[in-house]
Amino acid sequence: MEAMTQSGSAAGEEDLVASEYLTFTLGGEEYAIDILKVQEIRGYEPPTLIANAPAFIKGVINLRGTIVPIVDLRIKFNLGKIEYTPFTVVVILNVAGRVIGAVVDSVSDVISLTRSQIRPAPDFSATFDTKYILGLATVDSRMMIVTDIERLMTSADMELIDSAAA
Amino acid sequence: MAIDMSQFYQVFFDESAEHLAAMEGLLLDLDIENPDPEQLNAIFRAAHSIKGSAGTFGFTDLAETTHILENLLDRIRKQELGLRAEMVDAFLESGDLLRDMLEAHQGRGEVDGAAVEAICARLRQLSTDMKVAAPAAVEDASLSAAVRVFDIQFVPTEVSAKGEGVKNLLAELRSLGELEILSQPDDGEHNVGYWQLRLTGDCGQEAFADQIDFVADNGAWRVLESRPAGEAEDGAFGFFDDSPGAPEEDAAYGFFAPLDVQAEQNPTAANTQDDGYGFFEPLPVAEKSGDVAVSAEEGDGYGFFEPLHATPSAQPVVAEEGDGFGFFEPLPDAAPLAPPSADAPIERIAEPAAPVAVVAPEKPAAEPRARAAKAASAAAAGGDSSIRVSVEKVDQLINLVGELVITQAMLLQTAAQMQENAPDRLVNGLAQLERNTRDLQESVMSIRMLPISFVFSRFPRVVRDLSGKLGKQVELKTSGETTELDKGLIERIADPLTHLIRNSLDHGIELPEKRIAAGKSPVGTITLKAYHQGGNIVIEVGDDGGGLPRNKILAKARERGLQVSDQMTDQEVFNLIFEAGFSTAEQVTDVSGRGVGMDVVRRNIQSMGGRVEIDSMLGVGTRMTVRLPLTLAILDGMSIAVGDQTYILPLSYVIESFQPQTGDIKTLSNQARVIQVRGEYLPVVALHEVFNIRPRAGDFTQGIMVVIDADGIKAALYVDALVGQHQVVIKSLEANYRRVQGISGATIMGDGHVALILDVSAIAGMAKSSVQKAG
Repeated sequence: MEAMTQSGSAAGEEDLVASEYLTFTLGGEEYAIDILKVQEIRGYEPPTLIANAPAFIKGVINLRGTIVPIVDLRIKFNLGKIEYTPFTVVVILNVAGRVIGAVVDSVSDVISLTRSQIRPAPDFSATFDTKYILGLATVDSRMMIVTDIERLMTSADMELIDSAAA
Repeated sequence: MAIDMSQFYQVFFDESAEHLAAMEGLLLDLDIENPDPEQLNAIFRAAHSIKGSAGTFGFTDLAETTHILENLLDRIRKQELGLRAEMVDAFLESGDLLRDMLEAHQGRGEVDGAAVEAICARLRQLSTDMKVAAPAAVEDASLSAAVRVFDIQFVPTEVSAKGEGVKNLLAELRSLGELEILSQPDDGEHNVGYWQLRLTGDCGQEAFADQIDFVADNGAWRVLESRPAGEAEDGAFGFFDDSPGAPEEDAAYGFFAPLDVQAEQNPTAANTQDDGYGFFEPLPVAEKSGDVAVSAEEGDGYGFFEPLHATPSAQPVVAEEGDGFGFFEPLPDAAPLAPPSADAPIERIAEPAAPVAVVAPEKPAAEPRARAAKAASAAAAGGDSSIRVSVEKVDQLINLVGELVITQAMLLQTAAQMQENAPDRLVNGLAQLERNTRDLQESVMSIRMLPISFVFSRFPRVVRDLSGKLGKQVELKTSGETTELDKGLIERIADPLTHLIRNSLDHGIELPEKRIAAGKSPVGTITLKAYHQGGNIVIEVGDDGGGLPRNKILAKARERGLQVSDQMTDQEVFNLIFEAGFSTAEQVTDVSGRGVGMDVVRRNIQSMGGRVEIDSMLGVGTRMTVRLPLTLAILDGMSIAVGDQTYILPLSYVIESFQPQTGDIKTLSNQARVIQVRGEYLPVVALHEVFNIRPRAGDFTQGIMVVIDADGIKAALYVDALVGQHQVVIKSLEANYRRVQGISGATIMGDGHVALILDVSAIAGMAKSSVQKAG
């Protein structure tokens, strides 16, 4: 919040409108996603395997009667130690009319970011394609990777949706 | 009128579709020689309801077509015109067109404008035919044929004024007699406003009252009959006679013109006026308070009814209204009707307003009453036994109950683990809970169940139309219409059943001459039967026609290069007609014979988890039996274990299971495995290999072979263990994920975990391809 007021003074009207982001860590990196896309956060429970699915798709769980696929972003992006403890966190996302669970190392914070705080990311080629990155933001000297989670989850890379997976 | 009507469209579409269906059913039931007046009334009511709501929602094309339809119906209903077969045809056809229009409004398909024109013309033609007969009928009814003069006042709704409504009304009135337009709104207002007409003709008011009611805004209309001088008057007219006293022909209007002025300028003057004034006095008051937008003239039309609505809503003007009513007190005639004191409570003001309407000119007063009565009876008829709930809500309820069942199972399991330590009261309570949840689940599931009559009801029409087209005489007999099945199935079974019936009609039932030659009644019979058998619903489509010609089917099959032999059983031969592109019809008609269809029928039925069987005897008839599961949402499944995973195998595909012995399994080219079961070599599908799971058992003798049969393809499925048998609720995997090869869906087990349901056809297919590869 402090950061917002600091930069807010120099920014234009529109840039002052802050949105809230949920931040989570994957390995040593910190990611921020639009909090409106987050349905809930819950602990990890062993899912039911799906045959012949890619390794990062852990399977499906029963979320109060809905069958929800679970994606381990740590495996997908090769970040962090892949272990499942009672403290492993699943972020249940609501994107593109679907409910999808994402396993992350930990959920850190909810922060407010204005548009002016999000700087464009430099182009680089990595496993994590820059087209899913909205920009980079600095809060308390920590760098957050602001991610377009909807675009990421519906992309062909994630193999979560029929049309995209084909 | 800032209400967004579009939110009600779906209700309108649903209701209109229901009305159309009801109308069609009644029309088909109608005995043309001797129509039951109650049925005619019901048909009329259905058309009227559609017209009314179509008008309200601004679907003018629907409203206008139904309007014409309704006119003709009305005349038949009043026995001004005898019912003829071609009318029923025309009604049915217009019903189809109305359905098309409804579909088109929902963005599906298009309406054939020319066909609409044609049917409208035909309906008009049919009702003008009546014109010739009408005068006679009128005389029969010993009504005076003397010239009658009506003063008609109305304010059209915006919709009908901007559309063709008013124009149509005028045209119609002209057809009834001489029409004079006394006043009409300015052109700039698109006919919205006050209309005053005078009609001179020999018809009764009832001939046009309904039409005006349709066009006019919410009861804002009035018809007064001004009789030629000297004619005897009946009692109810009394009030008006001694009212303005003179401008006979323009009686109604006479009241009001001075009235507004009086009311505003010098209320007390009303006292000196005659009774007629008094009655209407409160109206402008009510109008000013409640409905400012309406012009003073419109107020005339509203007059009788307005205070009823306006009074309760316009609290602040109570006192004023009370004053208004106060006028009447001194009037001897009005006294019994008016409230006893000027500051009467609102309720009491509203009360006398009703009697006022009664003493008012008999026609307009009678109308709202009749309408109110009609509305009341309609409400009583429609609102007694059902409510409209969206399927989503029901599904949500089913989901929640499913969750409850899982939670209950969990509790039960926990209690079982406590064994002796569990207090008796807990165990008893849990037993009770189990019973209750099971009952609850059953009742909730039954919400989705509908009687199959929803499908059967469309077939009389199909049979009627087709038999006429084919020159056959066919009677349709249905039984078991009350058999219930899932709504989802009802929707999907309609098309395959229609196809089976068309087939029976076209290929099964012979032409009358041929039937007589064969010693049968010239009228063929198609029977449609539904009943429950075990956990299935069985639907039979039978005919007493020629039966399936075995030899012809075999010949045709050879012609098409199918592998057949004379030793095949009848069942196998008959099943050939389900092959794609197979038809034995000598000629292709527009009904059937192209050979597409039966394969689609079978595929559709199989996709619902059902089967179709044929029994036939040459010369005696054919019977198609369709077996369906009761619901799409629940499946009888066998749970099997592979490694640490549990899968559900739909029970309907399972034939048997056994433990293989060493050496039972042979290999082909050292790749594909087969196993001999009852003299038959079946391909072996090891589920852990298909799904890439580490199996619990090391070799085949430690596991179980399940023999499955999917659409004629048999295979032996190797699994680690059989766990149990359950009824499982099917959940979609694709809602949040995508299709998975070999999996048809998912379900939630008693412990809350997800189990995947195997797609047996796909797995059997995998077996087949692997054997072919190996061979």
